[in-house]
Amino acid sequence: MNPLLEYHNSFTRRQFFGDMGLRLGSAAMAMMLGETLGGKAQAAATGGRVHPPLPGLPHFKPKAKSIIYLHMNGGPSQIDTWDYKPKLQEYFNKDIPPSVQGGQRLSTMTSGQSRFPVAPSKFKFERMGKCGTWVNTDLLPHCAKIVDDIALVKTVHTNAINHDPACTFVMTGREVPGYASIGSWLSYGLGSENNDLPAFVVFTPKWPEGSNGQALFTRMWSSGFLPTKYSGVAFRGAGDPVLYLPNPDGVGGGDRRTMLDAVNQLNQRNLDRFGDPETATRIAQYEMAFRMQTSVPELVDINQEPQSVLDLYGEKVKQPGSFAHSCLLARRLVERGVRVVQLFHRGWDQHGSLPAQLSNQCKDTDQGAAALVMDLKQRGLLNDTIVVWGGEFGRTVYSQGTLTKDNYGRDHHPRNFCMWMAGGGIKGGQVYGETDDFSYNIVENPVHVNDLNATILHCLGIDHTKLSYKFQGLDARLTGVEAVKIVKGLLA
Amino acid sequence: MPTGFCLWFSGEHANHCIMKLHSSIGILVSVISASHAAVPEQVNFNQHIRPILSDKCFSCHGFDSTHRKADLRLDTPEGAYADNDGVKAIIPGKPDESEAWKRILSKDEDEVMPPPDSHKTLNEAERALIKRWIEQGAKYQKHWSFEPPVKPAGLDSIDAIMSARLNRDGLKIAPQADKETLIRRAAFALTGLPPSIAEVDAFLADASPDAYEKMVDRYLASPRYGEEMARHWLDVARYADTHGLHLDNERQMWAYRDWVINAFNENQRFDQFTIEQLAGDQLPEPTQKQLIATGFNRCNVTTSEGGAIAEEFIYRYAVERASTTASTWMGLTAGCAQCHDHKFDPLTTKEFYSLYAFFHSAADPAMDGNALLTAPTIKVSTPDSEKKLAELNAKVAEKEKALEDAAAKLAYTDPATIQPRPEVKIAETVWFEDEFPAGAKVQSSGHPLKLRTKEQGAQVFSGKVAIKRSADGLTQDFYNEGAAPLVIPQDAKLFAYVFLDPTTPPKSVMLQFNLNNSWDQRAVWGESAAIEWGKPGTKERFNAGPLPEKGKWTRLEVDAEKVGLKAGDRIGGFALTQFAGLVYWDKIGVTGKVDPANDPSRSFLAWWKENTGKDTKNIPKNLAKILKDGPDKKPAAAQEKKLRDYYLLSVCADTKPALAALAGEVAAVKTQRDDIDKTMPSTFIFRDMEKPRDSFVMMRGAYDKPGEKVVPATPAFLPPLQKQGERATRLDLAKWLVSPEHPLTARVTVNRFWQQFFGYGLVKSSGDFGSQGLPPTHPELLDWLAISFREGGWDVKALVRKMVTSATFRQASKVSPELVQRDPENLLLARGPRFRLDAEQVRDNALFVSGLLNFDMGGKGVRPYQPANIWEPVGYSDSNTRYYKQDTGAGLYRRTIYTFFKRTAPPPYMANFDAPNREQSCTMRERSNTPMQALQLMNDTQHVEAARVLAQRMLNEGGADVSARITFAFRTVLARKPEPAEMAILQKQLAAHLIRYQQDAASAKKLIAVGESKADTKLDPAQLAAHTLVASTVLNLDETVSRN
Repeated sequence: MNPLLEYHNSFTRRQFFGDMGLRLGSAAMAMMLGETLGGKAQAAATGGRVHPPLPGLPHFKPKAKSIIYLHMNGGPSQIDTWDYKPKLQEYFNKDIPPSVQGGQRLSTMTSGQSRFPVAPSKFKFERMGKCGTWVNTDLLPHCAKIVDDIALVKTVHTNAINHDPACTFVMTGREVPGYASIGSWLSYGLGSENNDLPAFVVFTPKWPEGSNGQALFTRMWSSGFLPTKYSGVAFRGAGDPVLYLPNPDGVGGGDRRTMLDAVNQLNQRNLDRFGDPETATRIAQYEMAFRMQTSVPELVDINQEPQSVLDLYGEKVKQPGSFAHSCLLARRLVERGVRVVQLFHRGWDQHGSLPAQLSNQCKDTDQGAAALVMDLKQRGLLNDTIVVWGGEFGRTVYSQGTLTKDNYGRDHHPRNFCMWMAGGGIKGGQVYGETDDFSYNIVENPVHVNDLNATILHCLGIDHTKLSYKFQGLDARLTGVEAVKIVKGLLA
Repeated sequence: MPTGFCLWFSGEHANHCIMKLHSSIGILVSVISASHAAVPEQVNFNQHIRPILSDKCFSCHGFDSTHRKADLRLDTPEGAYADNDGVKAIIPGKPDESEAWKRILSKDEDEVMPPPDSHKTLNEAERALIKRWIEQGAKYQKHWSFEPPVKPAGLDSIDAIMSARLNRDGLKIAPQADKETLIRRAAFALTGLPPSIAEVDAFLADASPDAYEKMVDRYLASPRYGEEMARHWLDVARYADTHGLHLDNERQMWAYRDWVINAFNENQRFDQFTIEQLAGDQLPEPTQKQLIATGFNRCNVTTSEGGAIAEEFIYRYAVERASTTASTWMGLTAGCAQCHDHKFDPLTTKEFYSLYAFFHSAADPAMDGNALLTAPTIKVSTPDSEKKLAELNAKVAEKEKALEDAAAKLAYTDPATIQPRPEVKIAETVWFEDEFPAGAKVQSSGHPLKLRTKEQGAQVFSGKVAIKRSADGLTQDFYNEGAAPLVIPQDAKLFAYVFLDPTTPPKSVMLQFNLNNSWDQRAVWGESAAIEWGKPGTKERFNAGPLPEKGKWTRLEVDAEKVGLKAGDRIGGFALTQFAGLVYWDKIGVTGKVDPANDPSRSFLAWWKENTGKDTKNIPKNLAKILKDGPDKKPAAAQEKKLRDYYLLSVCADTKPALAALAGEVAAVKTQRDDIDKTMPSTFIFRDMEKPRDSFVMMRGAYDKPGEKVVPATPAFLPPLQKQGERATRLDLAKWLVSPEHPLTARVTVNRFWQQFFGYGLVKSSGDFGSQGLPPTHPELLDWLAISFREGGWDVKALVRKMVTSATFRQASKVSPELVQRDPENLLLARGPRFRLDAEQVRDNALFVSGLLNFDMGGKGVRPYQPANIWEPVGYSDSNTRYYKQDTGAGLYRRTIYTFFKRTAPPPYMANFDAPNREQSCTMRERSNTPMQALQLMNDTQHVEAARVLAQRMLNEGGADVSARITFAFRTVLARKPEPAEMAILQKQLAAHLIRYQQDAASAKKLIAVGESKADTKLDPAQLAAHTLVASTVLNLDETVSRN
């Protein structure tokens, strides 16, 4: 971006307290704000917002204001969820034809296998909704009900074949650590509309006991080279929802207020003495912290939700830390103007015992994910919110390890996998892209991870080529340097 | 193609953790001056023009030949002035005739430069600068940092150069800050801690003219200095305690962290510091310390993810190491050139891969094995452990000699040579007595094997030692390779002696035998179900009876056939297994009918024949061949005697008992020695493979697309490399970096130190000295510092002292509205540096002022207070850093540099205050200001506890009345007394809390119970609680978390 804008922005951001400083009656602050920044225009630009957007953003009128991104960590099997391949039944335990496999790179977990026997999905698929999208109704009976609202993308593909680099890639556009995550880019560019909550909230819900819980990495929601305040704030399933949120035992809200008044008065004197704008920011941040002590407990208190809503999310919604609970909180967050919410659900790495494990995974998430879309819709929020579901790669059509009709495993497959999107800016009720009969190669409309991210940014009113940050002498972007396309077919 | 993406592997692009200031500084130097003021009288290429051309033009018209458009380059005068079919891009002195200028002005979308699809534009100020530059002759300069530094004429100190620079702007160095501010500033800068009240008093009382310098020297001599200096370097070195990728398991290399601390405390010369870290292993006869130093290039993140492709990671590690080295010492963002010629700096792809070739032959594997220690590593001894080891080794040699002598003197007649042949008889063969069979590779689950003597408090049945094992669950000591097979005699009964601890007995014990690589030969005493292997009631898990009586030695015995062993079976090993409890094991073996003449345990000849033609492992090397050759080859008599002596000593069941006492002594001493050896930590070191790998340019950064072959070499635009041999080594590279001719190393280094002490570097982009980086705000000062640092013998303490004792450092930080408007970021340094403390300083400060801080130095990373669920929600199921187990006691209160650092889930109090995650090198930290920080300082257990302990000090040491106590807290934390208004605010607060806690004793008690340390029971809980919140108030002040 233009360095002058960046400069002004960094300066105004540090001074977002604007009205706070004035309210506290600091003559020095009024002077500095006004005189340094050419005044009221700048103050107005931030609109008194705690998380202001960059000047000039959004680049155009956004279709969605918020995003909820459900990341299914480990690589859900597309063949057993959304990519219906009836012809595979004839190929049971036959080797995948060389013309299909094509000498592609394999992970070293299966590259040594002497055979690559095809494992058809053991599950029942049905056409659902008005659009007639095929869904595994054994495992996804709830998501089967929202097919008319979602755009199913069958042809997402990625660069990496192992978890660590693939997770890093899908979230940051790079395979190595150090880059900004998509959520950080969005909170950096767009800020957030809620002054009492973070702009970017992350959940890491519990996952089924028996599943293979691959690691998550904080770099998936970190700011990388962007200032650290754009990192996602992880809400926690157990204990305090936000780190260090509650007062210590024996300290009540009144005690805290008494103490904060003293802290603020002393800081105010310090500000008057040294004139450091950071001091004014700190005063404002202590007040924000105090407000969060109220706003966060209010946020996570779901007792006021009507029973019908709780029923929508299912039994587990009452368990903090469950996927369903996190989904409901995600809705409550976007309802309050929070820009980015991400859920990282683990356990989708089925190298073996896929049918049993995948059933557990789906049981854990299917109802919550579907309820989220339905709940947003019934509140009229779906138009303003984009919901994304998917993992870091897909799984192979051939079995890893033992293969029977009812039991098999699958290795990593980066060449095509399924994700779905719904809500603001997305044309629901469609299937985008097609794979071959083996779900091994894309035959139509490939969507690279970078394309997908560019499209997400587009829905939120961002031109991905223009949202950049000077880093290591380059204008770094989420979508990298190679040609990237916005997937027009997905847009409403 | 698996790697079609240009910047995929570019960890090297991630060498900074922060570039927030990047563009804003450029503005001060160039754009602001252009937009706020008129275009300068004299335009300077490096200062004004290069930043514009570099950002807007060079990507198409620069150094990178493959992406060059219209065959035009603007980075050299030759290119810019060239006649290109009658068109000249730049004609010096004549902007209106210059094609480049015409294109800049053009309104035609197809003509205008930069073109619209580049998303780059030139603003008015930039255009005005370019125009004037052409008017003034379009003079070029080589990029400033690639030219050798030059000492400014007539100016020979930081302050002289600073004054000269400030004078140009009509400014001057601000007056010195008051003494209380100064000592706190210096103490934090040099030790990362505030001054104690006693230190403040001593400094205030010292009226001598060099009182400040003396104070600085005291801090420079403190061991705390090394800790503070080291943590900055550890950011650059990307040091952490886990591997970083995938499982993110623990790795052991804290000796490297301690080496860095020590190097700063000993004031190691920076050139030597450089050489040892990059090439300590290539120094002649490297010392242990020099090898530890090479850990620098083992600090990178590594993986062992199933499915990962080895070649890819060998490639990535070398790229990461080359890039980190280039940015650390040269401030070069070399990694761009891994895919294409650098667009902005004269670094070709080939040159990048030539740097990479220095690191491409690393001996460490692609897959780290998720292991604590991934070779190459070394054991880290201390002078004390070395001395003990030497003593014990001498003792072992002495005892072994005595044993050999005894064996040589033994009367033994081989039963195979006796006529008539000796009868078959019932005999006992002992397999374990003080040691396992010769050569056995003993393994253990749970803690390693413990052989213990009576003197060590163990129960011993016979010989010198017994096996001691305590367990929570199922554990065992066993071997199944390395030793000669044990033969089962006829009518065999297997036996072992056990002693079950009366207070913590096991649920069950088990003997287990390895036959043909199967362990399905088991006999269990006690609760059979506790052991889940094998089918119960069969030979796979034979129930041999109840547990024996506790508290006495008992012989366990089982018929061999019950566990599926028959006469003649050769077992490859055995296992001693228990479920829970404390058990001593001793004397294990077999009884049965033996035919002495045919029994390898009794007949030397039988044993020799048995092993003829076989490669017997772990027999002394000088005997292996004659054993394999067999008796028929008839070796020399002396050799045969040696083999026989070995047999009698180590194998023969008839003679071993006679030697048992002596053998036991050997074993006991060896055990002592091995115990010391086992407790010695190890650390990762860097080393090359014996035969170097061939290195290639990798096409577009793809690990599987090798292009032209390269050898280790340095870039052509820098001074030539002096090679000692045919192939350049890392040692050559390291020496080249610190050679006097090198224009970058000294500058980059002094700049990073400047950044540390003044908040920002003279070059703000401290990791990028290339043309996309920012030009220095004070080029003369940077050069002067670089040259005097190098010429002064790379003396770090002297350099630091120069900086910290300068009037520039000592300025008051008060800022006037005029100055904040002119220089909001304090780039000109017309006032003292004031900025937020770093994460470590914030925490250490709280521990220090409360008196909780533990000053122990070094060792394994500690695990202080951390909220629940930091590691658990992200940790891989099988990771050994999935669960955080908090320390108790001292581990809670060590300096933060000793905190165990897990990369994928860093300590929250570190991340919250902008500490990098150490996944890649970081040359500069962000300084954010967030509500999460406020919440931590108010509510984190360690801060609440520190506030309460500080409150105890207020009440116990602070004086008799409220104002004295508040003054004490203020002076302890801020090194100054409160002003009357501040005193009034705190007194009012204290009174309010006191009333409240006197009415609510339960709440008071809860508050003062936070933390592991116990509240002082002599103090009134309400008083203590109220003071705790006042102390917490002081600890939360902006002034407290700032270095003023």
